[in-house]
Amino acid sequence: MATGALRFRTPHIDELPTTQSRQAPGFAWVAVAGGAQEDPSKNWGTTNRKRARVSLGGQTDQQREAVSAKQQREIERKLRDLNSDNAKDVVIDLPKKHGVGVGGVKAGKTTNTKKILASGKNFAHYLDDEEAEIARTGRRDGEAEAPPPPQRASKTPLARRKTREDSSISGSPAPSTMQTGPPLLPRGAQALPHLRANENDIENEDYDDTPTLPSDAEIEYLLSLPPLTYTQARAAPPPATGPAPRRFCETCGYWGRVKCSKCGTMTCSVACKDVHDLDKCMKMYT
Amino acid sequence: MARQKAHSLINAPAPAPAAPPTATLILDAGAHTLKAGFSTAGTCHIIPNCLARSDRDRRTYIAADLASCRDFGELAVRRPVERGYIVDWSGEKAVWEHVFAAGGVLGGVVAAETTLVLTEQPGAPAGTARMSDEMVFEEFGFAGYYRALGPALNAYAPSPFLPSTAPPPPPGTPLECLLVVDAGHSHTTVTPLYHGRPLHPACRRLDIGGKLLTNHLKQLLSARTFDVHKEVWLVNEIKEDACFVSQHFARDLERTWKHNGSPRTKVDDGGDSIVQDYILPDYETITRGFTRPHDPTLTARNRLGLGLATTSTPATAPKEHILTLGNERFVPPELLFTPSDIGIPSAGLTGTVLQSLAALPASLRPAFLANIVVVGGTALLPGLVERLRAELRARVEEGTEVRVARAGDAVGNCWLGGARMARDGGGLGRVVVTRGEYFEHGEGWVRRRFAGKGVR
Repeated sequence: MATGALRFRTPHIDELPTTQSRQAPGFAWVAVAGGAQEDPSKNWGTTNRKRARVSLGGQTDQQREAVSAKQQREIERKLRDLNSDNAKDVVIDLPKKHGVGVGGVKAGKTTNTKKILASGKNFAHYLDDEEAEIARTGRRDGEAEAPPPPQRASKTPLARRKTREDSSISGSPAPSTMQTGPPLLPRGAQALPHLRANENDIENEDYDDTPTLPSDAEIEYLLSLPPLTYTQARAAPPPATGPAPRRFCETCGYWGRVKCSKCGTMTCSVACKDVHDLDKCMKMYT
Repeated sequence: MARQKAHSLINAPAPAPAAPPTATLILDAGAHTLKAGFSTAGTCHIIPNCLARSDRDRRTYIAADLASCRDFGELAVRRPVERGYIVDWSGEKAVWEHVFAAGGVLGGVVAAETTLVLTEQPGAPAGTARMSDEMVFEEFGFAGYYRALGPALNAYAPSPFLPSTAPPPPPGTPLECLLVVDAGHSHTTVTPLYHGRPLHPACRRLDIGGKLLTNHLKQLLSARTFDVHKEVWLVNEIKEDACFVSQHFARDLERTWKHNGSPRTKVDDGGDSIVQDYILPDYETITRGFTRPHDPTLTARNRLGLGLATTSTPATAPKEHILTLGNERFVPPELLFTPSDIGIPSAGLTGTVLQSLAALPASLRPAFLANIVVVGGTALLPGLVERLRAELRARVEEGTEVRVARAGDAVGNCWLGGARMARDGGGLGRVVVTRGEYFEHGEGWVRRRFAGKGVR
């Protein structure tokens, strides 16, 4: 019957209603999932304090941030490796004798092509350029050129500028970060109201509630919408209510069942865990 | 970034006198391969779109030269197309000039008399589009040019849902409703097409492609067998030969469990075993590896699974290097459907298709669900279409018809669509931009034309 705060430390006791109706004195040990982990002081007399310290990632906010930033960097590094074409940066030059051919070969024929052939930009640069362009004005390449702003160009650096009300970002169908929910329909889709069922019609028994095909004008409208930018078109993450990501054994690839206390990677069994401890453990210290 | 105005092109060479172009060349520039051919041809030539350097041969191979390469070991590859867009034009120029050369596979291309149809992936940054336009007209000097959206050209190819005995529609007529899933090297795009025109708000892209699957397989093999970090070409071949998409991932994972490191015993039931042996090429007698059903006697001695066949073969026979593949066969392709397995915060292929459908008006969804075509190199993975169909059926309402099919020629389908569209001269003539128009109006105008904004 421990209802008040106790002065001495006991394991967390929760009196739960049971199906037995007899009034028995005493108390019952009940396992409360996760209850011991949150409050380190309740792990009395065990070495779980150290485990809790490690698993929570640190005692101060600074340590927790450092651990999560490190994990984030690990994930990003892994993804970058997965997206690379070669093991490391390789430079393959064009063979010399290939240069025989149409005049002005390596340099390009016009000033524009010279610049293109000499540029060392890769895709990330072009993407950044495009995002900067969109942040500065509306979408440039497909749209008509925006009229120059009436006042003189702002000298505030981009980072300190407040976002413009009419910036195209606010109307984009997909969020620019991947953390928020699935993309919303663009504004234009709400211009097709008659596709939604009318309340009066539903009660009518003869109502055929299969939606009618949109008319030609509506389809033309849909077809004329501008293309999405690179970041807008990316698939959104699955809803958070779905199943948790699956973890696999690092050594053999089976389901991960045992988590390494030091670095957090999963292994499937004791044998695989031994291999992990020998060669692969990251040993992240808090 | 300098904006193009007509007067800045004074330095450009004077445009050639307007002779009507005699041929149309379709180029589907992908990150892995380039599909090239004239519109009159029946099929395209598939050419590796890369420059490769082999330290063992000390030679640099451009594009189709790779067919003459004997030793693919530790081949370093430079790909001018990154994430589906041409960013490295000096490399791509070398590849194109090699393809267009008089002795090349196309039999010589005279740019001044040819109209070029070039594909580009959806979502291109303005910079890459501008570069393509400038290079095509100013450097190569094509007579006419049309930059098409890659998935959109698939609408002009014959539908895989019709029986092959049905007469194909006349060239130039697109299919009415088509949802194209283009599973390529850099990414997978989902594009709904209406009469060949994309419905842009519903286009989605999943950043997982053949390249990521190959790299993941490389990491798995390097961790479990021996280090293949530099052998991208070899691992790509292993992926093409041995990988498949599992229909029941949990069941297949159970079947390939190694039982705590003890030598792999034959745990598969029924005889269609998943575990296979891959015989590695040694580039002297064997140029390309191949798979064989697993034989545990060969690998019993070596716990890493790398075995040498010496028991039954005579001493003078070449030794085979064997790699045993268990769950490595179906775990990388599983990433297409569950990217969260390695921490990519994205929905899988089914989720992406459903997100794309959700962005369409509800009345159009059944039409697109019944016409899903899968194209691209990664679509050749066995089991991919069946798995996508099964997952979609499970997640849409009962009674909706779901038809998913792989195009007959998954890699060349986009090219085929482009060729069929080009054979209809009138349709192409409406969208093509000629060289004269480019020099007269400037590059910005051309870009707006291709984006559909301009008026002819």
